Amino acid sequence: MTGLDTLLESRQSDAARHAMALGLPTKRTEAWKYVPTRVLARTAWIEASPHVQQADTFGVSQGQFVNLPSTPGLTITKGPLTDSESAQLARLRGRHGFQAAAQALADVPWVITIEAGQQVRLDLTHFANTASSAAFGLCVIRVGANAHLHLDERFEETTDTTKTLSEWTVLITLARDAQMDQVRMQTAGEGAHLFHTTHVTVDKNAQFRHFVTDFGAQLARLDLTVDLVGPHAHTQCHGLLVTGGQQYHDIHLDVNHCVGHTTSAMTYRTMVDGQGEATLNGRVYIAKDAQRSATEQSIANLLLSERSRVNPKPELEIYADDVTASHGCTVGSLNATELFYLRSRGLSAADARALLQYAFAERVIDVLGDTAIRTDIERRLLGTLKHGDLIRELQDSIDV
Amino acid sequence: MLTIQNLHARVGETPILKGINLEVKAGEVHAIMGPNGSGKSTLSSILAGRDEYEVTEGSVIYQDDNLLALEPEERAWRGVFLSFQYPVEIPGVKNIYLLKAAVNAVRTHRGLPELKAGEFLRLVREKLKVMQMDEAFLHRNVNEGFSGGEKKRNEILQMQLLEPTLAILDETDSGLDVDALRIVGEGVNLLRGGDRSIILVTHYQRLLDIIKPDYVHVLADGEIKLSGDFSLAQRLEKEGYEGIRAA
Repeated sequence: MTGLDTLLESRQSDAARHAMALGLPTKRTEAWKYVPTRVLARTAWIEASPHVQQADTFGVSQGQFVNLPSTPGLTITKGPLTDSESAQLARLRGRHGFQAAAQALADVPWVITIEAGQQVRLDLTHFANTASSAAFGLCVIRVGANAHLHLDERFEETTDTTKTLSEWTVLITLARDAQMDQVRMQTAGEGAHLFHTTHVTVDKNAQFRHFVTDFGAQLARLDLTVDLVGPHAHTQCHGLLVTGGQQYHDIHLDVNHCVGHTTSAMTYRTMVDGQGEATLNGRVYIAKDAQRSATEQSIANLLLSERSRVNPKPELEIYADDVTASHGCTVGSLNATELFYLRSRGLSAADARALLQYAFAERVIDVLGDTAIRTDIERRLLGTLKHGDLIRELQDSIDV
Repeated sequence: MLTIQNLHARVGETPILKGINLEVKAGEVHAIMGPNGSGKSTLSSILAGRDEYEVTEGSVIYQDDNLLALEPEERAWRGVFLSFQYPVEIPGVKNIYLLKAAVNAVRTHRGLPELKAGEFLRLVREKLKVMQMDEAFLHRNVNEGFSGGEKKRNEILQMQLLEPTLAILDETDSGLDVDALRIVGEGVNLLRGGDRSIILVTHYQRLLDIIKPDYVHVLADGEIKLSGDFSLAQRLEKEGYEGIRAA
């Protein structure tokens, strides 16, 4: 019996039985070999209780949307799904038992539709689960032709250390000429175990830009797949993992250039301290017929303590012969020459380290431009850094 | 001010300095010249506190204290400043952040109140003018994308702001065109005087034509082989290191 079996058995459904038959992924499952999955199997998870109404903030609570916004060009419903969406969910179910279990335990999928030509901005909060509970949710986002969705996602910060489990699976389709910016600032409480799966299909001339920062949670894993299916489709995926204590952060990214003249760019930075561990798996696949495609990938990892660990794995799988591809991956500690330079100017070793860590993170945060969520991310970053107050003072005194 | 006695240092198993002796009194300007690989930059780095060199013998006394026992930032607080031969690029750190943090760190440890934003900006603008630098430099990342001349000017700008007691300029003239050399040299001259001592490490006489040293030393094979006044630099320019050695 795994920690989810009790919940699955109570469902009495074929989907639940299928999930139980598949079983949870283990260390022997390649894509899960670093994930501390024992928590899934050994915790007696209980059903999330019906969601509590949270102020008037739009968000996800126990796998369900609450406080639906009313915005021109936006509709939010429960189902129904198209055949291709159902088929896509079925393919995800086949990946591993945990995704199968999550779908079996989730309610009818939510559907967010952005009408063609509309520009919509959504702020969404992931509310914390009730103690010891497991919540599962499904969502489909359809961005119509020439529409633009800007989605900022934040997480409720709690001081509750009780274990909780959340799985949130999202299918996104961008029609021709559509655009989507998704910025995710993860600051969940230290008992949280988050598993998010996002699958994006990007059509002709459409653009999908994704930015993730992981600060919180005991365990946070994001599986992000982007299929570029129309010519001149483009994606940018960026991320910053700030991992410390005994946290585990994990991003598994798959970008598939299915047709020619498609482009992708990826920049990820990890800063791992304490006994933290981070995994960054960035795979780019360029199909045989996807000629004239271009991809660039940069992954840099900063290990800040002797017991910190990072597992970077950049992968390029190219079957076309007329493509531009570059990738770089580094693992290291703070640059000794830069540290010496700053210290020789009178900065203490701790201040110099903070400044260099901030600079390292800024290289990726910069892509957010001058936005409110960038300000929040920087504030959180500076709160996390030892001696981050020096930088805050400098910003406050100079940047005003 | 500074007394170096029998200083030996190595990198790994390779000895670089083999018994340096040097006395620098308050207010003096000393030029250290010498061929490539003679140990000039090693000496500069050791004085500033870089830890990749191992001092195996000898002592460095600065203002009655054992300089070698101090951390790099402690040396800066006490007035030691190194102008780097290759100023370090630090992507992501704005120049103005470094300048303000450095000025206030040094002021705090010298018992002075920190400068408020307005006071600091007034001071830095004044120094920028002296160094003929545009204010845009403040908001660029430290040395990133700077030309060789801009980097060296930025070093002297920092020196002007930090007002050191002992400034070590490590080949500050390398990579400078004639105009930049004049600006940098005049920038240093403005700081000359009082108790401030300067050690100029250079290959060529041209910087010394602008910053006239009180003493010139020839460093070769890890030792000071010859000392003299400015005329020694003129001799070097004419005869070269080989000529001096042969004599």
